[in-house]
Amino acid sequence: MPNPYLEFAKQLGLIVAIAVAVLLFVMVAVLYIILKLRWVIARIQSRLGPNRTGPWGVAQTVADALKLFQKEDIIPCGADRWLFTLAPAMVFIPAYLVYVVIPFGDGMTAKSLNIGAIYISAISSIGVIGIIVAGWASNNKWSLLGAFRGASQLIAYEVPIILALSVPILVTGTLDLDKIVQAQAGGFWHWNLFNIHHWPMLPIAFLVMLIAGLAEINVTPFDIMEAESELVAGFNTEYSGMKFALFFLAEFAAGFTLAAIIVTLFLGGYQPPLHVLGGQVTAKLFGVVPLFSLISLGWFIAKCWVVVLGIMWIRSTLPRVRMDQLMNLSWKALIPAGLVNLLLTGAYVAFWMPK
Amino acid sequence: MKVKSTYFKDFINSFVSIAKGLWVTMTNWSIARPSVTELYPEEMPKLPENYRGVPTLPVNAATGRSGCIGCGACVRMCPEGIIKVEVDKTDPKDRKPAEFSIDISRCMWCGLCMEVCPTNCLKPGRDFELACYNREDMLYGLERLQQMGGELQVEEEEIAEPQDS
Repeated sequence: MPNPYLEFAKQLGLIVAIAVAVLLFVMVAVLYIILKLRWVIARIQSRLGPNRTGPWGVAQTVADALKLFQKEDIIPCGADRWLFTLAPAMVFIPAYLVYVVIPFGDGMTAKSLNIGAIYISAISSIGVIGIIVAGWASNNKWSLLGAFRGASQLIAYEVPIILALSVPILVTGTLDLDKIVQAQAGGFWHWNLFNIHHWPMLPIAFLVMLIAGLAEINVTPFDIMEAESELVAGFNTEYSGMKFALFFLAEFAAGFTLAAIIVTLFLGGYQPPLHVLGGQVTAKLFGVVPLFSLISLGWFIAKCWVVVLGIMWIRSTLPRVRMDQLMNLSWKALIPAGLVNLLLTGAYVAFWMPK
Repeated sequence: MKVKSTYFKDFINSFVSIAKGLWVTMTNWSIARPSVTELYPEEMPKLPENYRGVPTLPVNAATGRSGCIGCGACVRMCPEGIIKVEVDKTDPKDRKPAEFSIDISRCMWCGLCMEVCPTNCLKPGRDFELACYNREDMLYGLERLQQMGGELQVEEEEIAEPQDS
């Protein structure tokens, strides 16, 4: 009979190992995404971007992080000390928790929940509580305004996200992200975005998801929450040092999370665009079994990278929308589109879909 | 009265205009459009042809000195009063400056000294790295001004000649 304590210790060790691995992955990804973002925006504006620190400037974000480590950690005297200290963690942890259900590769999900999609939409909307807490605890008008804007933005954009999220869920018939990815196997024309011969409304759901997701992670066309020219820096005006670094990390981690969710739901997750390029064929050719999941992980990261680059492209192109325009876009365009889409998809799934 | 709705028209227009904007940034990003950043310490910036810098005294290669006759027009003209000229009067047929100095720390690059010069021997230099460690180094003497001026260009000589005679 196995020792229950040993089993428990093994389980705990496994959980901690996975958590640390995902955290390291997120950290490295964010460090490189920030660097790449600065390069991309620089190239789009005919500049060079960071090129001083290390060869071609690759150590720039590491240097920035080290600088933030050294900085004095200031808490304003009118601030609520406890909430002020707690807020960065409350923003970062939800962005990190979403990775529990993301299938990184074949059999590389930390914990495959059967309500994965609901879990994602629930967890990713907790982050705004941290933002409101940060804005409230700072005892600063700009921070509070930024936090209020963040709250109204989240309420407006959580609805279209869930409406868009429901469409691939209805078509695949499961909430489990692992199964959604498995349903998209067999070439890029089976991915939910390109699966128009199956159901032509899927690209509209993708578009609604992309726009609402951009608003959810507060990148430039929708960054009224931290609008530099209106509110000094929004909810994180009073933050400095490591707490500010944590906000920054959370922002970009949420960006990568959005890319991962979009890839999982619409772009086939870890499935290769053609069956030949997948791990199964290669593993048969070379006879190496672990290579299989590594190749699927590679496909997942490559797709995420494409989506992240697309988000960078959009954020370096479009100007910031006004508060009323932001609300109009959600309530007058995205939500009607999402509702009609969901109704039609529901009718299709109920009456016409080939079983 | 029927109000014509622009809802769907606005929808399409917004997509078209966003696509146009994305195309502009895409061409900037992907096609090899040169960056406007100057990597100054590594690469010298390309100065425009008509760059006018510090006043200098170019040397005529034939005679080995500048065309300055020590008339003092620049001294009188200088709004800051920073040009000092002492004339070497040993040979009355051949006036030349024994001492010529410009306190470059107070020079404002107005160019009046170069305009008023009767022999056109004061020329704008192309040197712009004028930083130094102490104030005394900013008092440019005759040697420094001639060294910065380099050799007199041929066409400038032709302009200068009729005024000499």
